[in-house]
Amino acid sequence: MHKRNRWLAWVFLVPAMIPVAILMYYPMVGTAIESFYSTSFINPNPQFVGLELYRELFASGEFGTIVWNSCIWTVFVVLFQNLFGFAVALLLDRELPTSGLMRSLVLLPWVLPGVVAAILWRFMYDPQLGLINSFLVRIGLSGGGQAWLAEPATAMGAAIVAAIWKGFPFSTIVYLAALQNVDREQVEAATIDGAGAWRRLIHVVIPSMREVIVINLVLTTMLTFNYFDMIWVLTRGGPQNATHIFPTKIYELGFGQFRFGEAATYGVFSILVLAVLLALYFLARSAGGRRSMARG
Amino acid sequence: MRKMALIAAVLGLAMPTYSHAEDVVLKFWDNQQTESGLSQYQQEAVKSFEAENPDIKVEVTTVPYPEYQQRLLTAVQGGNAPDVSTIDQIWVAAFAAAGVIEPLDELAASAKISADTFFPGAWASANYDGRLWGIPFNVDVWQFSFYNEDLLKAAAIDPASLATFEGLKAAGEKLTDEAAGKYGIGLFAHKGEDTVVVMDSFIFSNGGKVLNEDGSCGLTSDASVEALAYLQSLAPYAPKGIANASSGDMRELFLNGSLAVEFWPALEQPTLQKSALNWDFVVGTAPEGKTPIGTFGGWNLVVYSDSPHKEAAWKFIQFLTREDVNGKVVDLIPANVEAADAFLRANRTGPERILEHLDNAAPRPLSPRYLEVSDIQVTLAQDVFAGMDPKEAAEKACAAIDALG
Repeated sequence: MHKRNRWLAWVFLVPAMIPVAILMYYPMVGTAIESFYSTSFINPNPQFVGLELYRELFASGEFGTIVWNSCIWTVFVVLFQNLFGFAVALLLDRELPTSGLMRSLVLLPWVLPGVVAAILWRFMYDPQLGLINSFLVRIGLSGGGQAWLAEPATAMGAAIVAAIWKGFPFSTIVYLAALQNVDREQVEAATIDGAGAWRRLIHVVIPSMREVIVINLVLTTMLTFNYFDMIWVLTRGGPQNATHIFPTKIYELGFGQFRFGEAATYGVFSILVLAVLLALYFLARSAGGRRSMARG
Repeated sequence: MRKMALIAAVLGLAMPTYSHAEDVVLKFWDNQQTESGLSQYQQEAVKSFEAENPDIKVEVTTVPYPEYQQRLLTAVQGGNAPDVSTIDQIWVAAFAAAGVIEPLDELAASAKISADTFFPGAWASANYDGRLWGIPFNVDVWQFSFYNEDLLKAAAIDPASLATFEGLKAAGEKLTDEAAGKYGIGLFAHKGEDTVVVMDSFIFSNGGKVLNEDGSCGLTSDASVEALAYLQSLAPYAPKGIANASSGDMRELFLNGSLAVEFWPALEQPTLQKSALNWDFVVGTAPEGKTPIGTFGGWNLVVYSDSPHKEAAWKFIQFLTREDVNGKVVDLIPANVEAADAFLRANRTGPERILEHLDNAAPRPLSPRYLEVSDIQVTLAQDVFAGMDPKEAAEKACAAIDALG
């Protein structure tokens, strides 16, 4: 790039960078700094304590629970949102008379506001009045009264199912777009060579969607890791912390108990995890870009 | 220079003169817990305040209850606190310790505002570290045991028996028929303050304490552990899912006739009055021969330290808590005893019983770290209802509370 062009690039970039720095990076850096101070609402004069809050965090059994819960939550929600989203995308990729209607209907859970979707699931899981127990009783799988959200053994699973339902249409739309870009000639060639539907999917379709799959996995992981509404409305992190994840814990510490320093330490961990995921996202994008250039 | 002075003088003469300096604009925040049209009532009251004080204008911001804590805290932390607001009784100590609100002792003394005007528990909730930090605005008390008269009659249960530990348990047993989807007592232990206030009222009524006078945890005393064990013994008569149930969930079951007894403050009455149920209530529950002690809830009015209009804010607080005004600007029960008496007689069933329970009620612990204590108590409730030995659960909770320092 010419020196003049480089300057020109900066001239165009700086007006966008300033608000990004103020609105995004300043609070992030502020959170990191706050995590080195003992500060809360009742202690308005922050005291520098170095890594003390981190030591306390690791010493508390609760941190391990939050990390474990966050891993279980993220892994299962992302995995099944992607699998389910991909399967539905395959179904919608067929040219059927009702395809347009089905594509619109499948988006419904995703366009519902998060809190509304969570309230809906809370009603469905209700031990006495919920649809789920009523259905299980009707088909003879349960005697009724199962408190899905009140038992530590089932609460996380119940929240995961609700989150999969809420989020899978995002993956469906992404995969549907990718499926429609798969080279039809390659698929037809494989069919002529005698490949069945399964082999065409595994050896032709999925490899040609690889970059999109990786990018969607990273994006849904970031969205799920930060997903607050569903768990907050369903259980507020209970019972007995069985569903507490990073965002719910940060909210509870910061706004529920006015413990800003401790909320900041959880926030820093959250930022670190997201930074790693973001790095993976860019790696996947640049790898995809290099492959496209090599092919093109 | 002379020309400039001349222009300034001419402009000065041309400006209209007003009888008083610029109006004070007072920012007042409150939250709304019911669909009572509170905001409209407050706007009307503000008009009469402004008529009495022509140099003060009041901007009222009414925030829905679930958002209030977050919005107020963000405003206070960001240096944008209102001049005057309501704050939950359980936040008073934290706001005082944080130095964001003004002590009101001298102002209250000079205005002859004293404890006698308010319910004792409400006045106590506004005091912390030997000083007065707020003026009680509205109150309520947990819990009243609201019962379905038809269900109790069908089971031949005397409603008065619900007021004793023994009677409530016996009624729960008689009223519960799980196979028919009928439950006796609406227990809840979700992560919410309603879980804590109900637990406290059973502890207080049994003579126990949450915190001792010296600030140490009182949950391991015999009286407290007994109350916890008693609550645990009621679990078989409650709808399933106690650990994630709220008072709101129990209300749904009570309204559809599946639940015979629900625990709520008097705030529940407008909802029940709109229903087709035959209902009534008893005041709390205590062991035979003891008086039920309820847990106070409610809000106090405070003046923020950063307010440039403290004098006007204080005038507004005096106005809002006046006997002739207090009942018109609250959606719970007025904290002013005289106003409460008139309000309850006009709007609630059983005003004498409510007044009696308000007189006996105790506030929750007045600690700047109350919100952490409360969170530990929620875990305690969940442990107890999950079947943990009450003594062991109380010891676990006390270890956590005492570690707060």
